[in-house]
Parts: sequence; C-alpha cells; structure tokens
Amino acid sequence: MKKILALILATLMLALSVACAAPAAATVAEATEAPAAEATEAPAAEATEAPAADDDWSYIQSNGKLVIGITEYAPMNYYDESGKLIGFDTEFAEAACAKLGLTPEFVVIDWDTKELELSSKKIDCIWNGLTVTEERKANMDFTASYLKNQQVVVVLSSDAANYTDAASFVGKTVVAEAGSAGAAAIAANMADADFVEVQAQSDALLEVKTGKAAAAVIDLTMANAMTGEGTDYSDLTILPIEMPGEEYAIGFRVGSTATAQLNDIITAFGTDGTFATLAEKYELSDLLIK
Amino acid sequence: MATFVTVSLKLLEGFGTTFFIFLITLLLAIPLGLPIALCSMSRFQPLRWLSRGFVWIIRGTPLMLQVIIVFYGPDLIGMPTSLPRMSAVVVAFVINYAAYFSEIYRGGIESIPKGQYEAGQVLGLRKGQIFFRITFLQVIKRIIPPMSNEIITLVKDTSLARIIAVRELIMEASTFIKTQALLWPLFYSGAFYLLFCGLLTILFNRLEKRLDYIKV
Repeated sequence: MKKILALILATLMLALSVACAAPAAATVAEATEAPAAEATEAPAAEATEAPAADDDWSYIQSNGKLVIGITEYAPMNYYDESGKLIGFDTEFAEAACAKLGLTPEFVVIDWDTKELELSSKKIDCIWNGLTVTEERKANMDFTASYLKNQQVVVVLSSDAANYTDAASFVGKTVVAEAGSAGAAAIAANMADADFVEVQAQSDALLEVKTGKAAAAVIDLTMANAMTGEGTDYSDLTILPIEMPGEEYAIGFRVGSTATAQLNDIITAFGTDGTFATLAEKYELSDLLIK
Repeated sequence: MATFVTVSLKLLEGFGTTFFIFLITLLLAIPLGLPIALCSMSRFQPLRWLSRGFVWIIRGTPLMLQVIIVFYGPDLIGMPTSLPRMSAVVVAFVINYAAYFSEIYRGGIESIPKGQYEAGQVLGLRKGQIFFRITFLQVIKRIIPPMSNEIITLVKDTSLARIIAVRELIMEASTFIKTQALLWPLFYSGAFYLLFCGLLTILFNRLEKRLDYIKV
C-alpha cells in the first residue's frame, strides 16, 4: 500500500516537474548561465542556420508583419480620446510599414525589459522615442536617427528664479532616468550636482514635484507634453539652459538586416516631406534632423 | 468629472485583468499544492527531496524573476514559444502559489496530534480513511487563517504582471502618468485593492465562523 502510494506520488511529482521543472530548473540555470548562454548561443545559432535565421529582414518579411515594441507616452505613441493609437512614431511606423508591405503590430511592453523582448523575438523592433546610446548598442542595432532628443532641465516654477545655469545646481539633487540621455547630460554638465537615478522619466518629474529633487533632466518632447495646463505637473517649468542632446532612432536586433530597409525609408521620408508634416502635427518641427 | 469617469473605467478594466489572474491562480494552485505537500512529507526520500528542492527554488526566488523566466526564458535559449503574455503570468503564478500553499498544507497536516492516527489505526481504519475522515476537515479549519493571509497577498502580487506588460490595475493607472501626466489615478487604484481585500476578509471571517463547529 505504502509503496503504491509512493509510486503514484512519484509519477505525479514527475508530471509536475515536467510542467514546472522547465521554468523551475531554468530559475537556477538562468541565474548563473544567462549572460554566458546569450553570448555563446547567438553566434552558434547564426553559424548553423546561417542562410535562413541569420537574415532578420527575411524573418520579418515571412511573418508579413512588423511587431513594434512601444510604451504609451505622448507625443510618440499614445491613445487619443476615441481610443485610437496616434503619435509621431505611430504614424511614422504606419507609413513606413505601408511602404515596406508589412502590417504594423504595436505591442505595449515594459521599458525595463525591452532588450529581453527584442532578443527573445517577442518584438522585432523598439520604435518609441528610443535614444541612441553607446550602452544600448551592445544589445541592439540602430537605424539612422530621425529626431533630435533635446535634453531640458525641469524645476518647480516657484524655484525657477534660483537657477540660472547648470552651475547653480552644485550640491543640489538632480534626477534622471537611469541610463538615459538625461543621465549622460548631467554627467557632462552638472558633475558637481548630487545625481540620483530613477526608473523612468515620469518618475523624475514626480521627484521634482514632491521636492525630493531640485531638478529633473528629461527629453524635451516629454517635458513639453507633461508640464503645462491640465496636467498634474503644471507647477513645473522648463529652464532655458542648454543641455547636450542626443538622437532618436529605431532599435532592431543586433546584426539585423532590417535596419538597412528602414534607413532607406528614413532618407525618403526626409526628402518627400513626410517627416516635416508629421513633426508639424505633433509640434516637433524644431527637433527634425535635416 | 469626465476625466474621473474615464479613469475609473480604465482602472476597472485593469482590475478585470487583476481579478482574472487572481481567480485562475487560486483555482489551479489550491489543488496543485496538495500533491506537492504530500510529496514533501513522503517517507520515500528522493521524492521528499525533489519536492522540498522545488519548494526551495520557488520560494527562494522573486516571483517577478519567475514571470520573466517563464515568458522570455525559452525563447532566449533557442526554444521559440508563442506563449501569450497572460498565460506566462498564470503559469508563473500558479507554480509560485502552489509551492507556498503546499507548505501551509504540510503545516496543517502535521499539526494534527499523532494520537488521532493511532486511534484510527486501533479502530482498524486504513491510512486513506484516516486522512480523509479524520484529518482532512480539521486541516481545512486550521489552515484557513494562513491561507487567507496568502490569498490576500496574491491580490497584490498580481501587480507584478506588469513586468511583461500585462495590463493589470497598476499598469493601467501608471499609464496615465506617461500619457496625460495625471498622478492621482495611481493612488486611486489603491482603493480597488483595498475594497477587494476587504471583501475577501469578510468572506474568510464567515468561513472561519461556519467551520467553528469542530472544537479541538
């Protein structure tokens, strides 16, 4: 009786481990091997399946659709009152996909796991006001840049008079999103400020609003959309301080052949006025790369 | 006012997702915990170790990491899956909560005095009869407080689903920060959790009272 029971339980446990062990075992394995596996796996896979899998553009074409990773934020990708996804990047992507003969499929992702989404092929590209940085080049290939990403300093309106230039932030707390262009701008221009990294650009504004930080350094596009009338950040002001900017581009998987396709489109949209029209619609004309 | 209605409707939509994760996790994890608990108490040593090792791994790693591994893991090691986001969340949650529940069951079963097993044996009952006719109901009564604790934790753990962009309550609420620069929806979302947990608390209190007929 006991043995039979043990046997039954053993089979159950086995069935369980089949169902669970994959993720469970992966928990341990991944924790230690993940970086190594990724590093060795990628070239190996390319070597063995070179003709088919190597070519990311063929892969995307065979799917007939371009899966685009976005996060909702104005003015790049956001919903209007009728629930339609609009924004500069939304319309840009739709126009580009029409030219490429692909159906755009927008997938809302979590910004923290965008590299995982990309390399696990859950999405084909990140097209969401993505700033080109050296760090990101390790995990993705960028297309040509299509917009300037001007960095601005945002402070409480009541506080604005105290800050005239970057030097006035010595010893003050300034915040920016970890790894963002804002963080780089702070390192370059406000080296003597007390720099605190936060998770998202919108968190940076909350820090300023609640007085935890004196200033936030974020993208101009975002600052324009988020401060001003009718927002919870109407008590914040953009300072007229010049900060070094960076550029927006589309991010594809490392080694992707799709970047060349998109580069042609970006050049074409620059000359045929598509960008100019879109930029005007979303009040981004100053930031166009000419 | 119009904004309040829009926000409320959006949050309600997010709560629908939250509730779905909650319900499916409970329905699957509650029965799944029992075989794990029985394996953890087995006298067959390898089985016991396997089961306890499993519980150790699941309880010893963050649920957020488990969700990420279930969703991205297979694809990253070259096994493409088309597991939908929601399914990945449910798989991770069920495994995680089954492991926690199994320990609560084990505690409940082991808390029944040994004398009762012996009395059952004296009366000539088989092991299965002793378990289901004597132990089981008492166990249910004893594990209700720790189970309700864990179940209420589950309500709030559902917010971890946002890491793979499943649009649950917190994600819907924080989207308002990024698209309309509204902060209050995030805090408003707390009311939904609070209300739901309040209902669950009342439910569990009633259940405890109804099972009060067995005095041990």
